Order: sequence, then C-alpha cells, then structure tokens
Amino acid sequence: MRFRAKIVDLACLNHFSRIINTIAKLAKTCILRLTVCKLYFILSDKVANGGASMWCELSQGNFFDEFQMEGVAAEHNEIYLELVPENLSRALKTSQSAKAVKIKLTNKHCPCLRVAVELPSLSSSSRIVTHDIPVGVIPRRMWNDFREPSVPDFDVSIYLPVLKTMKSVVERMKNLSNFIVIEANLNGEMNLKIESDLVSVTTHFKDLGNPPWASEDGCQSSAQGRDLESMTEACIDIKKLQQLLAGQQVNPTKALCNIVHKRIVHFILLHEEVSLQYFIPAIA
Amino acid sequence: CILQCFLSLAVFGRAIHAIARISDEFWFDPVEKGLALRSVNSSRSAYACVFFSSMFFQHYCWTAVSQPCQQEQHLSLPCKLIIKSVLPVFRCANVLERNVEKCSISTNPSDHHITFQLLCRHGVVKTYNLTFQECDPLQAVFAKHMCPNILRVHSRLLADVMIHFPTSQEEITLSVTPMKVCFKSYTEEDTDFSRTMLTEIQLSPEEFDYFQVGVDSEVTFCLKELRGLLAFSEATSVPVSIHFDRCGKPIAFSMEDLLLEASFILATLCEAEEEAASPGPACCPRPRDR
Repeated sequence: MRFRAKIVDLACLNHFSRIINTIAKLAKTCILRLTVCKLYFILSDKVANGGASMWCELSQGNFFDEFQMEGVAAEHNEIYLELVPENLSRALKTSQSAKAVKIKLTNKHCPCLRVAVELPSLSSSSRIVTHDIPVGVIPRRMWNDFREPSVPDFDVSIYLPVLKTMKSVVERMKNLSNFIVIEANLNGEMNLKIESDLVSVTTHFKDLGNPPWASEDGCQSSAQGRDLESMTEACIDIKKLQQLLAGQQVNPTKALCNIVHKRIVHFILLHEEVSLQYFIPAIA
Repeated sequence: CILQCFLSLAVFGRAIHAIARISDEFWFDPVEKGLALRSVNSSRSAYACVFFSSMFFQHYCWTAVSQPCQQEQHLSLPCKLIIKSVLPVFRCANVLERNVEKCSISTNPSDHHITFQLLCRHGVVKTYNLTFQECDPLQAVFAKHMCPNILRVHSRLLADVMIHFPTSQEEITLSVTPMKVCFKSYTEEDTDFSRTMLTEIQLSPEEFDYFQVGVDSEVTFCLKELRGLLAFSEATSVPVSIHFDRCGKPIAFSMEDLLLEASFILATLCEAEEEAASPGPACCPRPRDR
C-alpha cells in the first residue's frame, strides 16, 4: 500500500485547505478513501455521529500535481484510512505561502499521513515543516460499510436560499431551540421553523426554484399531478444544519436539498471541483 | 526606596503580560540603574527577568531610604506584587498607547503601596493603588557565556516557527547539530502515537543571525512559558538569543538593547530522570545556583 501526492500550485492548495476545513467542521473522525482518480471523505451514518452521514468527492487531478497510489491489492486498488480531519486542517493552515506540499503514507511508529510543507525562507534552503497525522487503515472486509449512499426517494427537491442568509437565520434560531423543521414544496417555497415553549419563529423563502431530476421511469419528476403547494417537512437537529452551513467558506455553484417527508433531509452542495452530500435524519 | 518614573506603555505592558505566563506574582525591584521585574514559577523550573534601564523612562528617580536594620549592600528591598492586580492596568497595550498620555509609577514603602497612575486623554486620570509584600530578593544566576550553543535570531522567525505548533502544545524539543536546527513536538516513550499529531520544523543555520553549535544537543523545554517572551520580542523587534547546553541544563532566551534586557531561563528535561514521578523538569535555575 503506497500513497504519495504533491501540490505545488497555491490556488489549488488554498482550495484544498478550504475543503478540508469544511470537512473538519462536519466530522470529528471520518474515512478518507483514495482511488487512482479521486479522493472521498466519508462519514457513515452510525449512531455515534448522530445518524448524520456525509459523502464528499473530489477529482485528484484538479488539486494535485503528482498523485501516486497503490491500493491493498491489484483488484482492489484503493486505500481506506480513518483520520481526524481537524489534524489535516491544522497541518495545512500555516501553508498559505508554501512552495510545495507533499503528502505521503508512512508507517514509523504507526500508520501516518506525513504532510511536508516546504516554506520559503530567508536563506537558500527552504524551511520544511512536517506534520505526522496518525491514521487507521481500514481493512478490506469493512469497505462495504462505506459505500456511496443512494439518493433517497424524496418528496420534494428544492434549491437552497443564499447560504449566507440561511446561515445567519439558523444561527439565531439555534439559540432558541435544539430542533428545526425544514419544509418545502414544489413551488419553490421553503420555510424554516422552530418552536419553543415561549416562542415560535418561521422564516419564509420564496422563488427558490426546484431542480429538475431526470429519472428512468419518470416517477421522481416534479410535475406529476402532485399538489405543488403541499409542504414536505422534516424536523432535524439544528446543530447539524448549523455545522453544515458554517463550514461553507465559498459559495457553491449549486446548492439544493431533497426532503423525504419526516424521514431525512439530503443536502447536495456542488462546487466546480468538489461535490458534498450531507444527510441529516429526521428526529422521530 | 522611592521610585517615580514615566514610561512607554506598550512595551512595559507587554513585559508584564510576558511575565504573567510564568507565574501569578512578580518581583518589582527598582534599583539605581533601572527597574527589574522578575518572576519564577512554583516548580522553580522557569524564571523570567525584564530589566528596564533608567533611560527607558522619561523620568526615573530612585531614592534610597536607609533603614536602621539594612546593613548589606542592597539598599532597596524588592517587593512582590500579584500579577492579576497589575494586568488590568496594562490590558490592551495597543489601545493604551493611543489613549494614555503618561503613566507614572511611584512607590511608598511606608504604607506598602505602589501607585500606577495613568494620565489619559480628556483629563481623565486613573489611579491604581496596589499593595505589595516585602520579600527576599530573587535572582537566577546563569552563566550564559559558558554555554557551548548560541543562536541568535530575529523575533519574527521564532514566531513563524512556533505558529506551526498547536496552542495546546506544552513542551517542544530543540535539536541542533552544526548542520541543522530542528524544533519538534516532544514525545516520550509512552506517547500514544496513534492519537498524537507530531510536528517538526527544520531550519538551516543560514537563517540565524548568529549560529554557534559547540555540542550536538537535544533539549526539551516548556513552550507555553516561552510564548510570553515571543510576543514581547515581536513587539520590541529586538532579536532573541538562545543559550543552551546539553539536555538537563537550563536554556536561556534573552533579548538586549540599549534600553532593556529580558531573559527567560527554562529548565530542560533530562533523559535519565524522566522516570521520576515529579511532573516538573529535573534541573532548575535556583537563586545563586547554576
């Protein structure tokens, strides 16, 4: 099992750092899956995570100048590592002006991702900062636990409002309640509602638009004689929603959510080079 | 003694903040040549001294008051102050410089008070009367010139190095050979490597203003206590000198210019005594001791 990668371009490095920062806000521990073409950050929906799960996918070619990977075996040319994304975020944080960043899988005292940052210095030789981030190697028999979640059979799919606005609304609501109800309809309307003993607050968003989903048998397409005004709702943990919104450092190209009535909310945030899916189950 | 002086706030305030990292109380020790602030931590493994020469002050007046029982050469008796009571006076050093026109410090030994008076804009005067405790003098004696390893570096460089370590990092190890310098997270035999992120920074000797390595060594000291000095030296832009020897012997970080001198002397861990139960480092700079 081998892994070596290098980033030389500063813009790519900053972009990669921002993605890691977002992941670090969503998960204390997660799985990094490496394949020849892509990197995945995966959080599976175990009870320990409060049932939320995450799937983040990026093409290595968009970030790395060099990327060499040899998986556990020829037919299974992939590597699954468990790590604390906050450590990776910290290692990259001070690499803003780096000449190059190299990442390598090593095994000194235990399996580690070694991040070596080459920084400019006052002398002819560069300054090298090395961070050894401990990782756990996930054995192949457990890989099935981390498969890509399928898009649920949703009732409503709707584009999200401007994330900055949504974030400030949710942050204020967080002070009043632990749970938030997201409801939306096929008419581009979404409401965020909270209720406590003393107060209930609803924020209404209009004209958001509903994404068109093409599917083989057309059963998920929006206009099927369904009542466009009827609301689909799910009550979720407000902290999870706030973490998702707080972690967004750049506006995504597309941001939408799929709601299964009273079951789950599936968020999809698409940027040019990275896609992030986050599932928050509804509270019973 | 009676002391009256006016001073430049930002630097003085930063010195107090730096010393606050060592301990909750400090020695306020005015002498004829200037004012020394000293502190030592409870385990006696870290000692700090900042000395402001009389030229640092706009006005410095020190008068010895002879007392019948004082016979030896120390005409002044240092006093001990609780840092917590002094810090509020110098909170937000940056803001202070803008709002405060003058600061004066005067001592009145007969009623055991030190008075800090800030003359601010718009005629506002803030007066702080703090009680002090008389106490024995405190001074660490450390023969810097006998250290085989001496590095001098601009304060910006040290700050740039330490920023890579998390603020929670307690101890770091400085490892030198004539060819390279390396600062790294401290690890011991029973460190759980599967849970700990380790950081290491390698520098070339060329980055130092002065580089002398007489003996290859690896010394481990407390980073938390040093951070105070780093912030202080960044504020004053005075380069920092590092004097040290093999592990177990103290390491001194010092800065010196015409107006002030600062030294932070920290004990270093000694490999042979790592098994000892006491959490503090083995060798300490004792008063009058090496």
